[in-house]
Amino acid sequence: MDGTYDEIISDNPFFVELKTEYVNLFQHCITQSWVICVPRIGSLSTRVFTVEDFCAHLLVPSDELPETHYSTLTEKQVTVTNKVITLEVTKGLPLQSHILFEETFYTEDFIKYKVWCIETPLEPTANFSDNTISKEYLTSINDCIDLLWTQAAGRQVLDQIEHSVQSFLKSHPTLPVAVAPLRDTVSELYTQCLQIALQNRRLRDKSKSCKQVLENIKLAVECYMQHLLFDALFKPICTCCAYEDSHLNKKIRNMCDIQLRDLDIKKELYHAVPRAKQILSKIDTYNTVLEKVLCVKQALNAINKKDDSNNIVLLTADDLLPVFVFLVIKSGLPNWYSQLTYMKEFRFSSAGKGDADESAFLITTLEAVIEHIQSGALTGSPDPESYYYESNLTEENVNGTRERKNSLTESISTSDTNGKEETLEYIFELIKANHCEQVQAILQKNQKHLKAMQLNENNVLKITMENNLTDDDDDDDSDTEIYHKLCHPLCNCKKCCCKISKNLLKTSPTVTSRDSHGLTALHVASIHGKANIVESLIEMGAEVNATDLNECTPLHYASSRGHQNALLLLLHTGANINKANIDKNTPLHMAVNNGHLNCVKALIYFAEHSRRKIRINCVNESGNTPLHLASKWGYEGIARLLIENGAEPSLQNRYNKTAFDYAHNLKILQVLKSCTPNLYEYIHITSKDVKSLNCKPNSPVGVKLQKLKINENNNVSKAVENLKLIDRILKAISYGDVKLACFYMNINYSAYMDMKNKPETSQQSAPCHPLCECSVCKKNTDSYSSDFDINFTDTNGFTALHYAARYGSDELCKILIHNKANVNCINKKNQTPLHLAALNNKTYVIRLLLDSGANINAIDMAGNTPLHDVCAMGNIGAAKVLLSYNPDLSMLNGADKTALTLAKEKVHLTIIDLIDKYTNGI
Amino acid sequence: MATAPSGTHNFKVVLLGEGCVGKTSLLLRYIEDKFNDKHLTTLQATFLNKRLNINGKRVNLSIWDTAGQEKFHALGPIYYRNSNGAILVYDITDEDSFGKVKNWVKELKKMLGSDIVLTIAGNKIDLEHERTVPLEEAESYANMVGAQHFYTSAKLNQGVEELFLDLTRTMIERYEQNSQTDVNRTSQVVVVDDEAAPPQTSCCSGNKTN
Ligand SMILES: Nc1nc2c(ncn2[C@@H]2O[C@H](COP(=O)(O)OP(=O)(O)OP(=O)(O)O)[C@@H](O)[C@H]2O)c(=O)[nH]1
Ligand SMILES: [Mg+2]
Ligand SMILES: [Zn+2]
Ligand SMILES: [Zn+2]
Repeated sequence: MDGTYDEIISDNPFFVELKTEYVNLFQHCITQSWVICVPRIGSLSTRVFTVEDFCAHLLVPSDELPETHYSTLTEKQVTVTNKVITLEVTKGLPLQSHILFEETFYTEDFIKYKVWCIETPLEPTANFSDNTISKEYLTSINDCIDLLWTQAAGRQVLDQIEHSVQSFLKSHPTLPVAVAPLRDTVSELYTQCLQIALQNRRLRDKSKSCKQVLENIKLAVECYMQHLLFDALFKPICTCCAYEDSHLNKKIRNMCDIQLRDLDIKKELYHAVPRAKQILSKIDTYNTVLEKVLCVKQALNAINKKDDSNNIVLLTADDLLPVFVFLVIKSGLPNWYSQLTYMKEFRFSSAGKGDADESAFLITTLEAVIEHIQSGALTGSPDPESYYYESNLTEENVNGTRERKNSLTESISTSDTNGKEETLEYIFELIKANHCEQVQAILQKNQKHLKAMQLNENNVLKITMENNLTDDDDDDDSDTEIYHKLCHPLCNCKKCCCKISKNLLKTSPTVTSRDSHGLTALHVASIHGKANIVESLIEMGAEVNATDLNECTPLHYASSRGHQNALLLLLHTGANINKANIDKNTPLHMAVNNGHLNCVKALIYFAEHSRRKIRINCVNESGNTPLHLASKWGYEGIARLLIENGAEPSLQNRYNKTAFDYAHNLKILQVLKSCTPNLYEYIHITSKDVKSLNCKPNSPVGVKLQKLKINENNNVSKAVENLKLIDRILKAISYGDVKLACFYMNINYSAYMDMKNKPETSQQSAPCHPLCECSVCKKNTDSYSSDFDINFTDTNGFTALHYAARYGSDELCKILIHNKANVNCINKKNQTPLHLAALNNKTYVIRLLLDSGANINAIDMAGNTPLHDVCAMGNIGAAKVLLSYNPDLSMLNGADKTALTLAKEKVHLTIIDLIDKYTNGI
Repeated sequence: MATAPSGTHNFKVVLLGEGCVGKTSLLLRYIEDKFNDKHLTTLQATFLNKRLNINGKRVNLSIWDTAGQEKFHALGPIYYRNSNGAILVYDITDEDSFGKVKNWVKELKKMLGSDIVLTIAGNKIDLEHERTVPLEEAESYANMVGAQHFYTSAKLNQGVEELFLDLTRTMIERYEQNSQTDVNRTSQVVVVDDEAAPPQTSCCSGNKTN
């Protein structure tokens, strides 16, 4: 991707001639450290070079500005800025030439000289050839396609590559789920694709003449292949990296409130962060390694600072890493590790270059960032405050030099006399430092103090005080000012007493005091997981369900920080397990989001044992259930636990995404699929669930539902229940999970399997007695049949059989047909299951349906028979089967076309052939 | 170790050393012949390329600057793996920075064995009067671990060119020795013949130096 031009200078005819034919000039030049300019190969039309030609290309540095100002040996002035040489000419525009690269030569006796390979000769009159250099830098998949298309003058190379990718996918229906074999397999394909490209005459000739073109072709082939392969390739990569990703996610989630200042990021860089973050978080929208690397590069380039004169000053590695760490943390991407693995391992075109290019550097930087996050070097600072205290206030460095520490230790020793130090802030500090007794002592003392004071005051006063307390902050007095506000420093009228006690309350915090964020001591103890302090605060009567400004309870914090002990203490004291905070997140959401399996377990098991109901499918502000979060961040264990406890993977969030949609690797997907229905949920559907069903307001179902809701509330839940169930069944079928579908439809799948294993005999045998209940008879009578209406339809009129046919599950088709499914049922487009099987080339199912009485000439709304569909799609297998069941070839569809006409239109030669043979055969 | 088409050596070199010893300054001095009194440089300075032609042998050096701060120390291996050479920089006026070099040497030897060419640079010799790292100690240490030792001043442009040139030559030698003695290694060299099949791309075997 650096796409830098390269050629071998010592083979360049201009250079060779200078060196061999003008030895003296050359020797003089290198001893004087003059710069030799060599026009790139091909830029000079081959002719005999004169001594003037050479002199025009030897640059003598000026005395004053040796780096930028030169003169040629032909006495022309030359300036160099930004890798461009500008040559003053007597008339007309100055002549310019790019420096393509600089090469530093050392002779045998270590004389050093510089050669600049330049794009065009430094001669105004030179008749340089128009063989323009392909300086193309490939920056996108479109560039790559463009290159392969134009350089090969046609799309045949693209088509061939696409073809071999397709057949690769066919021959590898499942790709290996381990990085090394996966890479090797794909690497083989790459080799194959590159061979295809280089078999093309034009491409081969061009790449021979210029190394640069060859490099570009390699890159373009790689990109195009990755582009075609991405969907099939990336899931397995994510699966390989599932473990690493979920661990990284847990780390990241737990520090998502990290701030720029926590990472020692320079202030000058703050402004650049939003833009860089925006760029970087798009990395998952690119399919090719090339584009992903470029994305990293752009993000890094966006992090720059400007100096006083508005020049862009870029960064050193020390400045860069922390910013990059911040960007990765904030990007919200669930699979950084997979992205990295893809970029690192699937970059075939630059193999053999080692780590010696810029892409390698960028990828390594990303790797270093991920490693830095993963290593936990940052976990000291997930919450900015704890960072200070936990690192400074350990027992052994209490005698340190920091001011803060000193004031703290001092005040600890004098805590019972110095009221001023006993601010709420100070108590929070003590909690963080885990000084349980001190916290207890101060709070108890204050409480006593307060009680005594209250007793001394009369009732009226109390009421006034409370009233005043509630209309807070109208006069926010600090203790220095309080005396100015009294009638007289020693006055003890009601008003003054009230002011004084109010002030005292502020400076003498109790278990119920709050700081400016609404945090109580119990919140802080829960944040830091100080279980013993949590316990003693609760004993002192702290409010367990106190909420802060974000409506978070201590339980929310204990869950999000993964403090299981504190969490259990809170639960046992009656903390509300389903309390939603300002973003509608419950403690369960918080624990799941941050990957704390221990807390998720604690919440669920506690609910189970105490017979409280934890709302496992509760949605937050964005409509996400805890399962959505577990799926997105790849927490396999948590997802399994949630599923086992009735989490429903097919609920949609506000963006109409289900947990399935968020699963980015196969492991999570498998966990989600293992979902068995939670019957409890069907029974307890409330009207709130109707809303969460996500019906579009003007869709027929939505309208129907609304009507139902007005008329009969009872039926609503039934209807909804049914719709939900149908949705589940059809989904299960589409995943190919026959067992689950049967389960939903109340069909006994294992009975069916048994029956299949010993066919006919048991099926046909008559029961011992009409009422007999022996195992044989039982199997025969209700066996695996169901009372469920097997011909149910979804809103588009699809039945289970439609789905089974579409997805080619012949087993399920058999079961459904056995259970009296209507083989000729139609959906809203009048398509029968046979149509769908034909469209999707499911030959087995087609045969099964036809054997079970499906109408081979059924027409859909467009007048197409299954054979029409097959001909239009070019499904050869399906065509063969259909033709063997004597379809009516003369049927015309809505456009007055026969099936044969359609096949001819689409040039499906094999099918045309098949039909011809069929008609001739008859 | 890799050789690109047409026999150009591609060498990766990392600069390691404590913060503020002058890694970035040395690099900039070498590549752009500039010295900046302030402690700031360019992003490109974290990764720079230089083409050399030493007596007919083409070399493409990519020089990776690294972060010297202690908190990033653990990331070292990610940066130095696959390197052909390392320059370990210390500040002659700072004994701690020399201790750090010793740690790096130990770590590199452990992780990369003798595949990597080590060069130790005692920087800031323009501050000779403030020297705290004894001359003999540094040199005998370098000798003991089989590393070259250079005295440099990024400020006065002393020893910089020599350091890089010597390192490059040693890397070429090392490479040629290895490809003679080690049959495996030669087979790993990827040479693209325009006509022939594209390179084998089992990247690991081609690049890993250990
Ligand atoms: N006197 C003197 N000062 C130098 C020399 N080389 C570097 N410095 C100064 O040392 C300071 C640090 O230089 P840098 O090149 O930024 O150091 P570094 O090793 O890259 O530091 P980090 O990137 O933090 O690891 C700067 O102020 C330089 O001006 C030198 O040879 N002599
Ligand atoms: Mg630096
Ligand atoms: Zn008063
Ligand atoms: Zn590899």
